[in-house]
Amino acid sequence: MPFGKIANLLSFLFLLMSFLLIVRNSLAGQVRMFAVQSGILAALAGVVASFGGRLELFGVAGVFTIIKVIVIPNVLNRTVARIGMQRAVAPYLGTSATLVVCAVLVVIAFTAMSPITGSDPLPTADGIPLAFAGVLIGLFTTVTRRRALTQILGFLMLENSIFMIALLATYGVPLIVEIGVFLDVLVAVLILEVFVYRIKQNFDSIDVKQLGVLRG
Amino acid sequence: MILILLLLIPGVASALIARTEKRSIAALTHVCANLAALIVGAIVIGQIYLSQREVSWNLLRADSLSAFMVGIITFVGAIVGIYAVGYVNAEFDDTQFRRVRLFYSLFQLFILTMLFAVTTDNLGVMWVAIEGTTLATVFLVNLHDNHTGLEAAYKYLILSSVGIAVAFMGTVFMYYAAVAQVSDIGLSWTALIAVAGRLDPTIVKLAFVFILIGYGTKAGLAPMHTWLPDAHSEAPAPISALMSGVLLNVGLYALMRFKAVTDITAGQAFASAWLMRFGLLSLALSAGFLISQRNYKRMLAYSSVEHTGIVALGLGFGGYWGTLGALLHMVNHALAKSMLFLLSGNILLKYRTTEIRGIRGLLRAAPWTGYAFLCGILALIGLPPFGPFVSEFIIFRGGFAMHSTAYAVTGVALVAVIFAGMLASVNSMLYGAPPEPWQSRDPLRWPLAPLALNLLLLLALGLTLPNSLREFLSRVLKTIGVSL
Repeated sequence: MPFGKIANLLSFLFLLMSFLLIVRNSLAGQVRMFAVQSGILAALAGVVASFGGRLELFGVAGVFTIIKVIVIPNVLNRTVARIGMQRAVAPYLGTSATLVVCAVLVVIAFTAMSPITGSDPLPTADGIPLAFAGVLIGLFTTVTRRRALTQILGFLMLENSIFMIALLATYGVPLIVEIGVFLDVLVAVLILEVFVYRIKQNFDSIDVKQLGVLRG
Repeated sequence: MILILLLLIPGVASALIARTEKRSIAALTHVCANLAALIVGAIVIGQIYLSQREVSWNLLRADSLSAFMVGIITFVGAIVGIYAVGYVNAEFDDTQFRRVRLFYSLFQLFILTMLFAVTTDNLGVMWVAIEGTTLATVFLVNLHDNHTGLEAAYKYLILSSVGIAVAFMGTVFMYYAAVAQVSDIGLSWTALIAVAGRLDPTIVKLAFVFILIGYGTKAGLAPMHTWLPDAHSEAPAPISALMSGVLLNVGLYALMRFKAVTDITAGQAFASAWLMRFGLLSLALSAGFLISQRNYKRMLAYSSVEHTGIVALGLGFGGYWGTLGALLHMVNHALAKSMLFLLSGNILLKYRTTEIRGIRGLLRAAPWTGYAFLCGILALIGLPPFGPFVSEFIIFRGGFAMHSTAYAVTGVALVAVIFAGMLASVNSMLYGAPPEPWQSRDPLRWPLAPLALNLLLLLALGLTLPNSLREFLSRVLKTIGVSL
């Protein structure tokens, strides 16, 4: 299969995982979807590394796998286990309405990214709108979900999608920046984990609707 | 090399404090590091000013604009750092030593990330450092460890991280535009400026919108400001002072770097229009919350949204005067707001409430705090003879000169509304009879002494603009492509 096709297929699978994540109701299931999505992204980095001749991307793919496929999902799973079974909280928007909105976001992504796809000479350019759709869906998930952990997953999806845009549009950003970004995200997730515990301890739930004291 | 030293000071201090077991040593290391950073910062500024060249070493690079920021960070950092020792001693006893240590250690880490952000040439590394500022401050916001602090810290971390992720996407697009011209550009700002004329304008415009939303979140521009009033009001006073006085300026700094590139590639009108819209919206929104604010720390926080908006308007009006006014206003706001937030710490220690309703007779109950607070507020709302009056005047004059009359007129009107709203609130705090039982005594006195410098500088900037300063600011403007 030619390079462009493989990249496209992986981009498509990547976005599919975003959709599967938002329709899942169990936190453990959401974490699993995130891990699979990160795995797909690591594979994409490997593909770009071998076809695009960017050897340092193998290293990036390795670090990425360690952080986003192994460490972060483990941290999140540990959190899920420690906070125990969660009452199902209805999101601000129901599942079918969410899917409709996300479909609209995909269309918007294709329109918004036309200047990039139109000008990018790289064979991977066709996947960029899919990655940008991932950005929008991640953003949307963070804003509309009520469980703290799902919000964090939304942020992580957003982060993944941006990494993918860089991968598809320019074969990644310089190594030092990439590593710095990974480190920031890892620390952010570790801190967020602490906050999820504290929210659970203080409010006996991780529904962020209870975080509504500060107003005006 | 001097830049390495500048970054090493807070870095080493943070590590040392994290290891010490004695409270006095932690405090001493903290104050020494702040003063050392101030001295080295002054050397960096002097070197750049006298040699008229930039200082660079590997990834690190400082030009006049960096020097300008280093000045704000190290000066306000030192003033706040000294007050912080008194505040921490009053708030946390020896049983809470671990929390005290965490405070000093993260304080230094916070200074380090800000200094790093403004002294690197690599826009990706700058992003990493700015995200680092969020990570360093999030536990500080929740230092008191209560319900509202937790709420504020969680919102702060998730909203800032999402916002700044959007800025990273903008950075990637900027990189994309640059790689099309120079394949090994490596996200260097200097290289980007050099090829800016040849970049694809459509992509640079797209990138700038993401950058503006992303770093605008960090700078507190409406409507991305929603985390700000919570975080700035829940954090302990010294941290609020640094976040409002300095951190917002770091967000604006990032915007200025990208605006310089966008101006060359896409013409000045594009970035200007967006900055003016966000700026005016910030003014309008904060005016709404400032007319009848019930909490004095939230009042100061919303006022930061207002002043970020004014700076954004100045940058948006553009030209020599608009941008010069924006720079001056960044300095003035840093001086006035850091001072007021520190004083709010004193008020909290005295009255144990953040409700404006609960504060009566401040001038009688805590005279030093009260009179300083009065002067600070008068400066902040733009009364002569203080600096903010001059910088706001220059900004709006720039607006008229650049024919953005509608924005300038609306802006002035909103500033007047905020003036009245804040004055009414503060009035009720200063006068009347203090709640019984009271005695005339300031909770912290010697830690307030450095604030005299803030006040003096605010006065000086309101009365004169020395030639050497004007020359320095003109060079700062030149680095971002603005000249008379």
